[in-house]
Amino acid sequence: MKAKRLLRQLNSFFDSDEKTQLKEIKAIRKVLKALKEKEKSLKKELQANSDPENAASLQTKLDVIYAQRMKGLDQVKRLRAQKRGDPEAP
Amino acid sequence: MIRKSVLSILLLALACAMWASPSFVDLAAGVALFMFGMLCLEEGFKRFTGGPLENLLRRSTDRLWKSVAFGTVSTTLMQSSSLVSLITVSFVSAEMIGLAAGIGIIMGANIGTTSGAWLIAGLGLKVNIAAYAMPMLIFGVVFRMQQQRRMHAWGNVMLGFAFLFLGIHYMKGGFESLQGSFDLTAYTMTGVTGVLVYTLVGVLITVIMQSSHATLLVIIAALAAGQISYENSLALAIGANLGSTVTIVLGSVSSNLGGKRLAAFHVLFNLATATAAIALLGPLSDLVDWLARGFGIGNDDYLLKLALFHTLFNVLGVIGWSPFVSSLSGFLQTRMVGKPKGAEQPRFLSASALETPATAVTAVRREVEHLMENASALLVHGINLRRSTVDGDSPLLPAIRQSVRIVEIDVDDAYSEKIKALQNEIIVFIATALSHETTREAADRLYELRRASRDVVEAVKGMKHLHKNLRRHGLSSNPWIREVYDRIRLQLAELLRASRRILREEPGAITMLSLDEIRLEQRRSSREINDRVDELIRERRIPAAIATSIMNDEDYAQGIGYRLLDALKTLRNPDDGDAALAMALDPEDIHGMAGGTSTPAGMTRNRPGEQ
Repeated sequence: MKAKRLLRQLNSFFDSDEKTQLKEIKAIRKVLKALKEKEKSLKKELQANSDPENAASLQTKLDVIYAQRMKGLDQVKRLRAQKRGDPEAP
Repeated sequence: MIRKSVLSILLLALACAMWASPSFVDLAAGVALFMFGMLCLEEGFKRFTGGPLENLLRRSTDRLWKSVAFGTVSTTLMQSSSLVSLITVSFVSAEMIGLAAGIGIIMGANIGTTSGAWLIAGLGLKVNIAAYAMPMLIFGVVFRMQQQRRMHAWGNVMLGFAFLFLGIHYMKGGFESLQGSFDLTAYTMTGVTGVLVYTLVGVLITVIMQSSHATLLVIIAALAAGQISYENSLALAIGANLGSTVTIVLGSVSSNLGGKRLAAFHVLFNLATATAAIALLGPLSDLVDWLARGFGIGNDDYLLKLALFHTLFNVLGVIGWSPFVSSLSGFLQTRMVGKPKGAEQPRFLSASALETPATAVTAVRREVEHLMENASALLVHGINLRRSTVDGDSPLLPAIRQSVRIVEIDVDDAYSEKIKALQNEIIVFIATALSHETTREAADRLYELRRASRDVVEAVKGMKHLHKNLRRHGLSSNPWIREVYDRIRLQLAELLRASRRILREEPGAITMLSLDEIRLEQRRSSREINDRVDELIRERRIPAAIATSIMNDEDYAQGIGYRLLDALKTLRNPDDGDAALAMALDPEDIHGMAGGTSTPAGMTRNRPGEQ
């Protein structure tokens, strides 16, 4: 039983898929952080803005960033589920 | 013809010398093995140029000291200043690093190359180095036989070092046996004449062998065998340094202006350092003696003293030049100016860009950006605006409304001259780059860039049709028709303003993702135009025949937008941009956010005929 567990651990160590998934998660989280910062600065700009046309343009940008962040978070969840070996993972 | 004659004479002379003296066979075999070892090392390290080396190079060159350190360390590891110099030329040519950073690396490579002298003098001729060569040779062959790219590369590196060591061993033996039959010391020269003559000899040997490392091996082995005097060996080492510029000069012939400027610096640097070293040979020699005592090197250990001299005058050269790097870089940029090239001429596609997969990809990306710059200028004129208006900050609608006539431009002619000709060059370069050894990632990127160039060309083709109708109806006396065409022009002008702004930014995940904002704005604007046209048709303000023309033209404008944004997505996606791509919105997402119910035909990501 111990040998089997050791073998599984060794397999996981050499498993390039798992390493790739970890790398992907890290890369997405980095972009998510940058998007969050951009979102914060746009929100500040929107609050200080009085021109309705400009405000609409800023709101569009915020909507897009929100949608992109949601996609990124979904992707992270999916990769984490795959990493855990969850059979329900999409 | 001259080259062939020189080669024939050289081969004949070599054959005669080998026939006349068995010791010369050992000597020549030593040099040949040493140079073959360097080729193996270059081959091995070139295989690592698919990613890690480029990433390191880009990150390590933001400050001068980092560039110098990178040049020193990489040349010490690779034992080849030629490889480092040629890669640096290709990086500067592709504008992946600036000229000042390239200068720093070249200065560092000059220091790094002196490690060879230490290796030969300190280890090569004192230890039985051939004993280490054999296991390396065996492991090297086993590694080289592996299919895996990295293993293969390590095999070449091991074989490289094995042959270097064997070369040193044979060279040592050759000079030892030559001692009995031939006495080179008869040609010893002293004084200024001696220094100048031996410097010239050093230059000539290096130019012939195209390797200052090999020249140093010959000098050190000859010095060890007592065939040349210490004083003459110093002059030979200066000559070897000067002669090494020939590699970078030859490498820069096929590069663009950036590479040529770097080569010019290398010649200036080596020439000035060599002149200073010749002028100050006496004090430098005394300094070497003083430092040698400090380092515990014996007074008669001329081999190590020569290595110390070689390092010292190169380090002093770097220290002396460092304060002037930025002004020198500016001087070279203002003085070395190429002939102005036409917009249709490629700017980045040079043979030196094929040196590594990364430089090939960057050169193609920059050239597709150039193609896009040409295309967007044509598109701006196509909607009857000036580039300065689109690139400025003032609102676009007043400029559009002010148009009193649509200036006719021959889109077909401009397309063939400025777009098609450049695209042809890009396609040929990509095919050549793919025939070179490349990585899977680089090949994928090249295919993507080829598709981006096609997108740009298709966008221009779309303008051909749109411009025709704009000239016919764009300034119609019917205010409703004029209003709709003004909206179409505004939609394109805004797209061109945004895309030209993004084109000036460097690739990055956030820049690439910001394209989705433009897509959404474009989609909304398109819906508004279509709604307005429907309204005008219902109110019978515009005839049905013109309404269909407007709808077609709006489709062309949308097509131009999608093509340009797709091309920009490829151009602004960083090389490791998979994460950003996973977060980019799909056409369905954009359409849903714009308030649509189904995806329009032009928005699908895979269009017919695409790879």
